[in-house]
Amino acid sequence: MKRPNPHLLASVCAVVGISAACAPEPTCTGDWCGTAVVVAFTEADALLPPVVRNDVGQSIADLLFLKLADVGPELNTVDPSTFVPELAESWTFEDDRTITFTLHPEARWQDGTPVTADDVVFTYEVYRDSLVASNARPRILHIESVTARDSRTVVFRFPKPYAEQFFDAVNHLRIIPRHLLGTVPRADLVAHPFGRNPVGNGPFRFVQWRAGESIELVADSTFFLGRPGLRRIIWRVAGDPSTAVTQLLAGEADALNYIPPDAVERVAESEHLQVVDYPSTYYSYVAFNLRDPDDHSRPHPLFRDRSLRRALSMAVNREQLVQAVDGETGIVARGPVTPAFWIWDEEYELLPFDSAQARRQLTQVGWQDADGDGVLDRGGRRLAFDLLVPITSASRRRAAQVIQEQLKRLGVEVSINELDFGAFRERGEAHRFDMFFGSYGGDPSPATIAEVWTGDGSGNYGSYVNQTVDRLVRDALDARDVATARAKWRQAVNLIVQDAPAIWTSVVAMRAGVHQRFENVSLRGDNWAATLWEWRVPPDRQIDRDRFTITN
Amino acid sequence: MVRYLAVRSVQAAAIVFLVATLTFVLLHLAPGDPVIASTESTLVRREVIEQQRRNFGLDRPIHVQYLRYLRNLSRGDLGYSFRERRSVWHAVRERIPNTLLLATAALLVMFGLGMLIGAVQAAVPRSRADDALSILTLAVYSMPVFWLGLMLMLVFGLGLGWFPVGGAVDQVLYPHMSLLGKVGDRAVHLFLPALTLGLVGAAVTARYQRAAMLDVIRQDFVRTARAKGLSERTVFLKHALRNALLPIVTLFGLTFPLLLSGAVLIESVFAWPGMGKFAVDALHGRDYNVVTGTAIIAAAMVVLGNLLADLLYRVVDPRTRESS
Amino acid sequence: MTEALRRFLAQRRARLGLALVGVLCVMALAAPWLTSHDPTAQLDLVHGRLLPPSAAHPFGTDDLSRDLFSRVLYGARISLTIAVFSVLVSVGIGTAVGLMAGLAGGVVDTLLMRSVDAALAIPRVFLLLVVLALWENVGVAGLIAILGLTSWLDASRIVRAEVLSLKARAFMAAARALGFGSHRLALRHLLPNVAAPVIVAATLGIGQIVLVEAGLSYLGIGVPPPTPSWGSIIADGQRQLAAAPWMATIPGVAIAVTVVGFSLLGDGLRDALDPRTR
Repeated sequence: MKRPNPHLLASVCAVVGISAACAPEPTCTGDWCGTAVVVAFTEADALLPPVVRNDVGQSIADLLFLKLADVGPELNTVDPSTFVPELAESWTFEDDRTITFTLHPEARWQDGTPVTADDVVFTYEVYRDSLVASNARPRILHIESVTARDSRTVVFRFPKPYAEQFFDAVNHLRIIPRHLLGTVPRADLVAHPFGRNPVGNGPFRFVQWRAGESIELVADSTFFLGRPGLRRIIWRVAGDPSTAVTQLLAGEADALNYIPPDAVERVAESEHLQVVDYPSTYYSYVAFNLRDPDDHSRPHPLFRDRSLRRALSMAVNREQLVQAVDGETGIVARGPVTPAFWIWDEEYELLPFDSAQARRQLTQVGWQDADGDGVLDRGGRRLAFDLLVPITSASRRRAAQVIQEQLKRLGVEVSINELDFGAFRERGEAHRFDMFFGSYGGDPSPATIAEVWTGDGSGNYGSYVNQTVDRLVRDALDARDVATARAKWRQAVNLIVQDAPAIWTSVVAMRAGVHQRFENVSLRGDNWAATLWEWRVPPDRQIDRDRFTITN
Repeated sequence: MVRYLAVRSVQAAAIVFLVATLTFVLLHLAPGDPVIASTESTLVRREVIEQQRRNFGLDRPIHVQYLRYLRNLSRGDLGYSFRERRSVWHAVRERIPNTLLLATAALLVMFGLGMLIGAVQAAVPRSRADDALSILTLAVYSMPVFWLGLMLMLVFGLGLGWFPVGGAVDQVLYPHMSLLGKVGDRAVHLFLPALTLGLVGAAVTARYQRAAMLDVIRQDFVRTARAKGLSERTVFLKHALRNALLPIVTLFGLTFPLLLSGAVLIESVFAWPGMGKFAVDALHGRDYNVVTGTAIIAAAMVVLGNLLADLLYRVVDPRTRESS
Repeated sequence: MTEALRRFLAQRRARLGLALVGVLCVMALAAPWLTSHDPTAQLDLVHGRLLPPSAAHPFGTDDLSRDLFSRVLYGARISLTIAVFSVLVSVGIGTAVGLMAGLAGGVVDTLLMRSVDAALAIPRVFLLLVVLALWENVGVAGLIAILGLTSWLDASRIVRAEVLSLKARAFMAAARALGFGSHRLALRHLLPNVAAPVIVAATLGIGQIVLVEAGLSYLGIGVPPPTPSWGSIIADGQRQLAAAPWMATIPGVAIAVTVVGFSLLGDGLRDALDPRTR
C-alpha cells in the first residue's frame, strides 16, 4: 500500500498560495513534540474512574488519574517488588495484614493542590460506596480499612493475609480529588459534570471532549514522574473496526490497539505503519449451560452429561478454527488462562482434537441417527441446540460458523443465534441459553478464573460447579507463597479443562497498529495504554501534526 | 389556510407523541437495558449491576418510567443519557449541526443533479443519451448506499488520498485554522459522505422526474398547448416541467426519512459525528432516552418536511385545493 | 392483453429487463444443478480460504473456505424470495390503504394518512432496527413480514396522490355523472389508472428491499448464519475488501443487476399497460 497523498485541501492551498490560511506555521520543534492520534471503536462514557464502565473510558482515565502503584510489565500480581511506584513513592508491610504507603512529595493535582493521604482515603470510600456502584467495588471488599496517618502516609489493613493483597490494595483505586468532589452526594457522582471535564494527577491534562468525535489530552510538562514523551494525545471515535482500520491506513490515526485479524496484512504492508504484538489476557470460549435454560433448578437435558461435553469439545478442530479466525499467529486456548498470566506454564493440559474418539464417545452414551435425518438422536431427543453469539464480535461470529460446520459433520445440529450485545449479556446473566460464546480478559489477576469457573462466580453463566475446583481455587487465592499458588492454580485449571464446561477456542491475538515514527512503543497486556505516556517521536521523524503547539 | 395550518400542527404534535410512545415501549420491551449493554467486562458482579439499575431508576415498572418520561417531556426535557452521563439535549445539540449539514449537502446533490438528469432525459426521450443516463442512474440506484460509500472511500480516500476517510473536521489542525481554512476543512470532510448520500437520491429523483415529465407531456393539456401552436420549447419548459414538479414535491416529503435512513448508514461508514450514528450506537447500547429523543427529533423534522411538501403541493397543483 | 404483450416486447429495454430477471430466476431455481458445492460446506479452512476465482471456484472462496459461486446462487434464492414476497405484501397493503384514503376522503383519509405520516416519520432503517431488536432469529419468513409491513407506506401515498389527481380529472367526473357507485369506480376506472404508478413503485420496491436487506446485514441483522443472502455475503466480504475484493464485489454486482433488471422490467410493463398511452 502506498503512502497516502496529502489531502485535496492541501493541494488547493498550495495552488492558491494561501497555505498560511489553511495551516498555521509550525511552532513546536525538538523533543517532546509528538502528537498521537489514537483511534478507538467506541466512545468513552465518562472520565471519572470510579464510574467509568467501558474500556476506552478506562484507558483514557488512566492517563489522567494515577494509582498508588501499578503492576509491572510481567503482570505479576503476587510479588510487590515487581510493582511500579506511581503516587506512592514507597511502601512497607508493617505486618502481614498492614501495608503503609508513603506518597510522592511532588504529587500534584492539575489545579496545583498537592495529592494527600486524605484523597486516598476519600477515593477508597467512594469506590466502596454501594450508591456509587463502581464496577471495581467487589474487588476492594477484601480491604478492611484505609486510614491516613499523616498527610503523606496511608495505611491499608486487611482482615487476613493472602497472596494478592498488595495487588488489591493498589490496582483498582485510581486516586480522585477530595477537594473537588468531597461534597458531591455519592449518588450524583455517576453523572457529575466532572466526569466530562476532569482534573487529574497523571501525566496528561484533559483539554476538550467533542461528542462523537474525539477527546483531547495534553501532556503535563512538569509531571512529577518525568516529562511525558508525547505532547498531545487525541482519542478519536471510529464507530466500528473497519472504519478504525481505514483511518489508520489513511494516516488519519496513529495508533489502534486491536487490529482485526483480517486487516493485519494490510497494516503490515503499509509503509508508514508497524504491527506491534503484545501479550493477551483475553480468551474466547463457548460455555455449555449445565442447567436447564427454562428451569434453572433442573440440570440441562444434554449438557449435564460430562462425556457429551468432552466429546463435543474433542470434535472441534481448534487449530483450524484459530487459523481461520485469528490468522497465522493465533493461539489455541488451553483453558481459562493465557500466556500473559503469571501462573501460565506449558504444562496445562488440553483436550485433544480427535473426531474419531468423539464419535465413539457419542455412540457409547447412546447417540445414534436412528431416523436417518443426519442428526443424532437418543430416545426421541435430537442432538440439537442453540449457540448465542454477540453481533458486535466479527471473530466470534465467524468462529461460531466453524464450530457449527464441524459439529454438523458429527451429526450435531447447532443453530447460531446472533444477538445485540445487551440482549446477549442479559441472556447470559439469566442463564437462558444452551451455549454461550463469551470472551474474557483485561485483568492480569488469576483471581478472575474464580469469577467464571467456580460455584459462586458472577460470570459463571453456565453454572459449572466442581467442589474440588472450588477448594483448589480457594487454596490458590489464600496461598502465602508463589510456588504453592502456582501449583494450586495448575491443578484447578487442569481439572476445569477435563470437566469441559466449555470449549475454549482461542487466546485473542492482540496486535496493535502504530505509526512508524513513534519510538519506545510498548503495550501492556492488561491495559495497553498504561505505558502510552512514554512513547515519543524523535525530532527528525516529526510530521505536521507533531509540529503544532497548543494555543492555550 | 390558518385553520388548515392549526389542524396540521395539532396532527403533527400527535404524530410526534405517537412516535415517542412507540419507540419508548418497543425499546423497553426489547431484551437488555442501558446498564447491561454498556457493561463490557464479564467481571462485573450482579449486585453492582443491580445497584446501577436502581441508580438510574431502571428497576421501576415500565409504566412508572413512561409517566416520568412524559412528565419530563412536557417540560421540554428529553431526559438523561445513560451512556453520556448528561442530558440528552446537550448530547444531541452537539450532533444536530453535523447531521443538518450532511443532509443539506446531500439534498443539494440529490435535487440539483437528479432534476437536471431527469429533465435532460425527458427532453430527448428514448435517445441514446436518455438510455445511457437511464442505465447510469439505474446502476447507481441499484447499489447499496453503504457499499457505494465504501467504494468512494476506498478510491478517493484511501487510494488517491484526495479526501479524508472519516470525521467531520481535522481533529488535530482544525482549532488552529483560519476561517477560510476551517471552511475548506469542513468541505473536504463533507464531500464524500454528502456525495454518497446524494447520489443515490439523485438517481431516484432523476427517475421520478423523467417519468413525471413524460407523463405530463402525454396529457391532454399539453396536447392542447401543442395544438394551440406553442413552441415545443415553451410547452416543455412552461407546462411539462412545471406540472412535473408535482410528484417531485411529493418526493421531497418522502425523501426526508430516506435521507435520515441513509444518514444512519453513511454516518457509520464515514464515522460522521451526527445524530444517525448516535442513535444507532444508542440503540445497541439501549440508551433509552437517547433513542427516544432522537426519534422524536427526527420525527419532528420529517413531519415539518411533510407539512412543507403538502403546502408546496397545494401551491403547485391547483386541483387539490378544491378536494381538501 | 396480447396487444400489451406485443407493446411490451417491442421495447429493447423491457426485453433486456425480462432477460435479466428471467436468467436470475432460472439460476436461483436451478442452483442445485448449476453447482456441485454445498453453499455452507467449509472445504478447507487451512488452505482453501479466500481463494481467487478459478475453474474449480468460478467466484473464488470466502473467509471460511466456502464456494462463493454456490453461495451467490443460493443467496439469490434467499434474497429474491425475501424481496418479492415483501413487495407483494407491501404493495397489497399500500394499494388498499391508498385507494381507501383517496376515495373515501374526509376523516378516513385524514386518519389513514396521518398514521402513515407517523410511521414514515421514523427513518426506515431505524424503525427496522428498533422492531428487530425485539426479535431473535428472525428467519426468512420473519424478515418478509417485517420488511413488508414497514414498506407499504410509500406505495399508499403514491396511490392516494394518483387517486386524488384522477378524481379531479374529467373522465372521473363523467363516470360519476353516469351514476357509477364508488366500488365500481375503484375497480373499473381507478385500479387500471393506478396500476402504472403501483408497478413502478413495486419494481423500485423489489430493488429497495434487496438494498434494505443488505443494509440490515451491514448493521449485523439478517438471515441467521450459515444461510447465505447477498447482503450477508457483502457484509462478510467488506472485512476482506483488500485481501479478497471479489467477495464483496460479486454479490454487489448481483444486487445491482437484480435491481436494474426489475426496474427495466417494471418500466416496460408500465409503458405497455398504461392506459394513457393507448
